[in-house]
Amino acid sequence: MSYLKRSPWVIHYDASSCNGCDIEVLACLTPVYDLERFGIINTGNPKHADIFLVTGSVNEQNKEVIQNIYHQMPEPKVVLVLGICATSGGVFRECYNVSGGVDKIIPVDVYVPGCAVRPEAIIDGVARGLAILEEKHKKFQEISGGKGELVITEAAIEDAQEILDLQKLAYQSEAEIYNDFSLSPLKQSLEELREDFKNKVFLKSVMHGKIVGSVRAYLEEDTCHIRRLIVHPTYQNYGLGRKLMRRVEAKFGQAKRFETFTGHKSRRNIYFHQRLGYKIFKREHVSQLRDRVFMEKPLKKE
Amino acid sequence: MYLLEFLIMFPLLISVILLLLKGERLRAGLVKISALAISSAAIALLISTFHRSIQYFKAESHLVDKIMFFTEWALAGYILYLGLKFKRARLTLLILLQAALMFYFEYSCGAKVISENNLFIDKFSIIMSLVVGIIGSLICVYSTGYMEDFHRDYHKEIKDRRNFFFFVIFVFLSAMFGVIFSNNLLWLYFFWEITTVCSFLLIGYKRTQESRNNAFRALELNLLGGLAFLAAIIIFYRTTGSIELSKVMLLGKAWALIPVILVCFAGLTKSAQLPFSSWLLGAMVAPTPVSALLHSSTMVKAGVYIILRFAAVLQGTMAGFALALIGGITFLAASFAAVSQSDAKKILAYSTVANLGLIVLCAGIGTYEAMWAAILLIIFHATAKCLLFLCVGTIEHKIHSRNIENMSGLIITMPKLSIMLQIGMAGMFLAPFGMLISKWAALKALVDYNPLLAIFVVFGSSVTLFFWVKWMGKLIIVAEPKDEIEHGVSKSQWFPLGALSVLTISVCGFFPLVSSVLIEPYCLEIYARTITMSQGNIVIMSIMLAMVMLFPLSFINYGKRVKVVDAYLGGANINNNVEFRGSAGTVNSMSMYNYYLEDYFNEKKLLKFGVIISIVLVIAMLGLSLL
Amino acid sequence: MNIFLNILLYLVLAPLTGGLLAGLDRKITARMQSRIGPPILQPFFDVLKLTQKENLVVRRSQNFYIGFFLVLVIFTGALFFTGKDILLVIFAFTLAAIFFVLAGFKASSPYSFIGAHRELLQMMAYEPVIILSAVGMYMVTRSFYVSDIVSFSRPLIYYLPGILFGLLYILAMKFRKSPFDLAASHHAHQELVKGITTEFSGKALAMIEVAHWYENMLVLGFIYLFFARLPLAGALLSLLAYFLVILIDNTFARVKWQLALLSCWLVTLIFGFGNILVLFILRK
Repeated sequence: MSYLKRSPWVIHYDASSCNGCDIEVLACLTPVYDLERFGIINTGNPKHADIFLVTGSVNEQNKEVIQNIYHQMPEPKVVLVLGICATSGGVFRECYNVSGGVDKIIPVDVYVPGCAVRPEAIIDGVARGLAILEEKHKKFQEISGGKGELVITEAAIEDAQEILDLQKLAYQSEAEIYNDFSLSPLKQSLEELREDFKNKVFLKSVMHGKIVGSVRAYLEEDTCHIRRLIVHPTYQNYGLGRKLMRRVEAKFGQAKRFETFTGHKSRRNIYFHQRLGYKIFKREHVSQLRDRVFMEKPLKKE
Repeated sequence: MYLLEFLIMFPLLISVILLLLKGERLRAGLVKISALAISSAAIALLISTFHRSIQYFKAESHLVDKIMFFTEWALAGYILYLGLKFKRARLTLLILLQAALMFYFEYSCGAKVISENNLFIDKFSIIMSLVVGIIGSLICVYSTGYMEDFHRDYHKEIKDRRNFFFFVIFVFLSAMFGVIFSNNLLWLYFFWEITTVCSFLLIGYKRTQESRNNAFRALELNLLGGLAFLAAIIIFYRTTGSIELSKVMLLGKAWALIPVILVCFAGLTKSAQLPFSSWLLGAMVAPTPVSALLHSSTMVKAGVYIILRFAAVLQGTMAGFALALIGGITFLAASFAAVSQSDAKKILAYSTVANLGLIVLCAGIGTYEAMWAAILLIIFHATAKCLLFLCVGTIEHKIHSRNIENMSGLIITMPKLSIMLQIGMAGMFLAPFGMLISKWAALKALVDYNPLLAIFVVFGSSVTLFFWVKWMGKLIIVAEPKDEIEHGVSKSQWFPLGALSVLTISVCGFFPLVSSVLIEPYCLEIYARTITMSQGNIVIMSIMLAMVMLFPLSFINYGKRVKVVDAYLGGANINNNVEFRGSAGTVNSMSMYNYYLEDYFNEKKLLKFGVIISIVLVIAMLGLSLL
Repeated sequence: MNIFLNILLYLVLAPLTGGLLAGLDRKITARMQSRIGPPILQPFFDVLKLTQKENLVVRRSQNFYIGFFLVLVIFTGALFFTGKDILLVIFAFTLAAIFFVLAGFKASSPYSFIGAHRELLQMMAYEPVIILSAVGMYMVTRSFYVSDIVSFSRPLIYYLPGILFGLLYILAMKFRKSPFDLAASHHAHQELVKGITTEFSGKALAMIEVAHWYENMLVLGFIYLFFARLPLAGALLSLLAYFLVILIDNTFARVKWQLALLSCWLVTLIFGFGNILVLFILRK
């Protein structure tokens, strides 16, 4: 059983709202509506929060902040957008400085429109959010408790579409790090990916019939090049990536060394590889925003 | 007997060789070997004598007396010369007074003064000899590596006088052993003055204006103490006809109180109690091993040693109560002053003054419980403080600063050193470690004697906690990735540091043993009763110690099952922990500074306040002893 | 065998009661603000939820300190409730609190840094009166052992009213309540977010919460010592003290650290030390 439903803590962020919706959020906490009777607390701290309430149409300055807060919240988490501005941009939708909806920035789970949104609607939205939270929690339990069965097999060309979708999802966080949404993994087309199948080996890890992780690699003069290790954001941090890496290294047992690369600011990736025995050996300039860090792992001689 | 003479004579011999020796390798080797010899001799002394009661030794003294006599006059001449050369009126006056007193004593009764037993050894001397022997020699070993770095890389402008440096340090050790083992008060006085002069030479090692001034201040204050000491000896002799420590101790309170208080006055100057503490704070200018030596095992410990020797006489007297108050005020004022400091060495210095204050507080009340607590304090303080000073010395060389704000993230840049530093700090204030055991004991002693005195410990120790923890916290903060810079610290620095860390921990692990073998028998000898920590409490302490020791084990789990995210900066971080986006898109970076609470813990005001009160108390103490 | 049973009972009952009291606190607070408030079991739901969350950290080692904090708090409580030396209880308690503060430092974020500093400041403010209370109890009962103090023939309140007042004054600090909720406020989002606990999430936060329950029970136990001769009245009066803290929490604004420190020390000096002085003079 999950206790998430019994004590959802929220963080509220005003992404250039007119304060109309914000007042209503606060109204929910007043004696009249008393959200705390459901155990809901406004924490004001992403690290403690389960539900992210966003109001407002999101201008340039808010983007980064929303992303930061979102990433600093522990899983499982739910994003609720309150008011029409946050839902779609509302009357500001066409404005030059507005992104038009929070879902352009981070994945949104529940939309609560209204101008301003009514407290009853907010409470209803939170209640819906709780159901989603519950669902996410189950998924989360499965991996963290090792209950869900994870199968790693070689992928076939039929999986191309699913892998591509996953790739675009997984590389989102990378793009945010460099604020560069023109990364090649995000731009890759289905045809190009199908092309890849010809000269690379694809591995996929499947849970409940859904691909949650993948990696590709090819051999070139005793060196195995490992590319695009991706894991679904919800499933990250539970050893899926490590398992995939182990598997791909085993698959290319004949290789003398393994090589991979990542961006210079992707600290988590670098740390991940370092723990698997990789070392940085080269740095290459790719664009103004990004350097490429090459990492290698020579194979131990038996 | 032979061991005693060895401990006094051997360092002296080595010092002379070191002064003449030219090669650096050779010198370092000799220092290390003799450090080993000294510490093993101290341990051998422990093993051979711990089961015996007090032993007295005649120690043929005719020649020695002569040598001492001439050395003393030579030193007086030297100081007089310094006083005239550098135009220090106070110094000149003090040394002239002292010479006059000395002359008077020699003239009036010099020939008649005879001492039956010149040397002695008891449990307390064994403890002190261990402190001096082991910690002192570890400092010597450390100095070989440190002074090399010091001259080669960090202070090229200062003239390399290393052979002189080691000469003085070994003379110092020899004099310390002399102080500990002398039964003849004149001998004791002689060695006492030697330590004064040695500390003067060491503090002034750099020969800058600042170090010269501070060295002279140390000399003046300690000469003042020496003067009181000499006066005390004369009064002793006049009233009792003896100059033996053991005989003086046997006299009733009424007889001995005035000279004892004078000796305590000398002890106060040497152990840098308020109002005399300025010299120890000024002594920081010296190279770090000197600070370590002065603060932990030698100089200041000689001060409290002599006070503790007479503590039993002070028990229940008003003068003793005044002395206790001086200790209490010093403890309080120095702890408070340490809060507003950011200079690592200054914090350590204030902490030394404070802890010595606690020892003096215990000595002032002079009960058996207090004695037990005070001796424990000496042991624990010496090890932990020495470790701290040596760590700071090495760190200062590496980061070119001893400001604790610059030590942020030291756990990454210098992992081993910062852990050692933390062990030292733990030894100074954390629960199962040494100082807290002694604080526990001191509190118990105080409450049994006079609960009102507990107020010093109560406030002082809570403030102590504040300044240690915030420093400790600074060490473990890692706001941004940094590179390790620990390499290049020489082995002769690592060894003493490691040994002291082990010592700091094991001293609290084995403290029941130390207590039952040495401290309790000593209390029994003096008071015919003793205190001990109950079995249950020892078990609890051991459990706590074990728990804290297990703490590093939790690092097995390092980095598992956790997701690393940036610190919360109001959501405005720019992909790292320190930078955030300000208004209009500017990039700012955050920085964290400790609280120093300068308005409330103002160093100057506190010291002024402390000095005024303590001067009143010193006068009261001297006055009360006359009653 | 008896002692193990005691310890076991303590291990189970202390957090249960502590949690229930915390729930009661939230309910009472809500009623004071004319709200309905969460169910009484809410604190347990919160903690259980936290154990189901992901572990986010800033520094990979920050949670170890929290683990130690919890273990040491439990250990301290065990010492107290099995009647050991009260000075050791206080020292162990301080050690635990230090680990908590170090965790705040380790997290290396400005908010937790400020929180840690303020926590430390509060420790400096409340330590004197706690140690003084041990001194006072010793003066009355001639023993530092909690077991002896409990079985003393008259309630200590007769002798130590000043010290009890001092303890009540710092109670808000230990319970992290207004006006002394400087270090980890529930109501200071703008200024210091969650102070020292800002960077802890998931299980670590749950551990902090549970440790806090243990802590609260220990502090209430301390209050209870003053009435130990009359167990029922003692229990009721310690609960009354708890209620008092809630009432003050809801009626006072947070003070600055300057006032917190100075007032605590003044109260300690005037009431705590004054009490001991009077006792000392009467004994003479």
